[in-house]
Amino acid sequence: MFGWIVLGLVVAVIGYAIVTYNGLVAGKNQVANGWKQIDVQLKRRYDLIPNLVEVAKDYMGYEQETLKQVIAARNSAMNAHSPAEAGAAEAAVSGALGKFFALAESYPDLKANENVRSLMEELTSTENKIAFARQHYNDSVMGQNNRIEQFPSNLIARFGNFGMHEYFEVPEAETAPVKVSLR
Amino acid sequence: MSDGPKPGPWGRRSPAPPPAEEGATVFAPRPAATAAAGLVSTDFHAAAARNRRLTWILIAVMIAIGAVLGYLIGATVEAGEGRADFKPWASGLGFGFAVVMIAISLVWTLIVMKIGDRIVLSLSGAREVTAEQEPQLHNIVEEMAIAAGIPKPRVAVMETEALNAFATGMSTERSAVAVTRGLMQALNREELQAVVGHEMGHVQNLDVRYGTAVGVYVGLIALVGDAVLRMSRFGGGRRSSGNGKNNGAQAILMVILVIAAIVAPIAAKLVQMAISRQREYLADATSARLTRNPLALISALEKLGASTVPLDRANRATQHLFIVNPFRDFSAKATALMSTHPPLAQRIERLRNLG
Repeated sequence: MFGWIVLGLVVAVIGYAIVTYNGLVAGKNQVANGWKQIDVQLKRRYDLIPNLVEVAKDYMGYEQETLKQVIAARNSAMNAHSPAEAGAAEAAVSGALGKFFALAESYPDLKANENVRSLMEELTSTENKIAFARQHYNDSVMGQNNRIEQFPSNLIARFGNFGMHEYFEVPEAETAPVKVSLR
Repeated sequence: MSDGPKPGPWGRRSPAPPPAEEGATVFAPRPAATAAAGLVSTDFHAAAARNRRLTWILIAVMIAIGAVLGYLIGATVEAGEGRADFKPWASGLGFGFAVVMIAISLVWTLIVMKIGDRIVLSLSGAREVTAEQEPQLHNIVEEMAIAAGIPKPRVAVMETEALNAFATGMSTERSAVAVTRGLMQALNREELQAVVGHEMGHVQNLDVRYGTAVGVYVGLIALVGDAVLRMSRFGGGRRSSGNGKNNGAQAILMVILVIAAIVAPIAAKLVQMAISRQREYLADATSARLTRNPLALISALEKLGASTVPLDRANRATQHLFIVNPFRDFSAKATALMSTHPPLAQRIERLRNLG
């Protein structure tokens, strides 16, 4: 009788360990996937920006400076190497794009152009997707970190060498409101 | 020490239901196994587990109802043959019909599992659209899918001026979101995003699975009940003029059959009515979590409530799937038993309290 109880307990503990270990692996992969999703959307933004700038050039003769800023920000973001560098460069892209969108409001011809409108929609959506992908990444990180730290799953996490994940920090510049000067 | 509350399993009766119980469902950390994405206040994991369970219960009950109806039909027919040794509780034809009905139910279940979402889409007159046809709608759906971390559902449009939306599907991998043309025209981008976020909530917590199964079965049971009633009116007269050894047994069986044919659709209807109210609140909260913008959903719901255009393609079998009741009763009395949706005012109130 006693033997059966011990056996049952052992089976339960092993079962728990297996389920938890697999859950931790799934969580780790989810976090990695979340990170990749952000990259996918960033790549999309790099691809879209030159098109938008090309179409906008004809209408925004006076605003060459803004267009150059957008392109420059994009190029430096693409060439960024360290995560810190990349974070700052992405923030610059978002800032430059925000400025561009705000300026575009004052060019009725530009806003009415079908190409520009669909490009703007794509860029707006891409900006949203980047934000949502980051949001989802952070949510996944929080779930995974909770399990790594909380008892009793932390025992399994320590056994399997699961490391804590880092949150995506929103760069300072991106939380600040976009400044627009409308001469 | 001795006069403190005893925490034994049976010692907890007398005090009022411990407040900890209510708090536990909302705030307490969930067990590690379900904490995968348990970081959120909207516990869609528990909801999804409940919906999986409910779907299987529903299917089992529907098959049982089918078997009972089948037995009654078979027994009634056999009684009409007037054999001397007929026993209404052991009718061979009854068992045969029951088996046939179970087989039909199983096939129907397989069909529902495979193409339930398509059945519901076509029942509501929703047409699937490509990313080229509706780029913004596709973008919005994809954004919300990214936020929820699930595959992008298919996208469909209902060509009507009414303002409404619904989601359907048997899994998060195979689901669809449908909105009306009127909704796309009346709402701005953020509001549309909030509505799609609400539907994404239904997809994430598998309301779509249960809701689709309910919708499809409610339709089927209504159909079978109708057929039985018609048959009884039609066949009953003919047989009662027969030689009449078992006329008494047949009459009783016929009465039971007719009652069952009337009750079954009502029971199915009650199941449908009972499912939605709590879910709508959860989906609203999920939308707020995904978009981080409850105000957009509030103003979207206000616009939905203010619209007076009826949704002519709405169907009694699918009404519980929509974001607002397509039969347009948004008033407080909608909390009554027979309503599929909570009153809009209460939903807006709860959203206000989120922020």
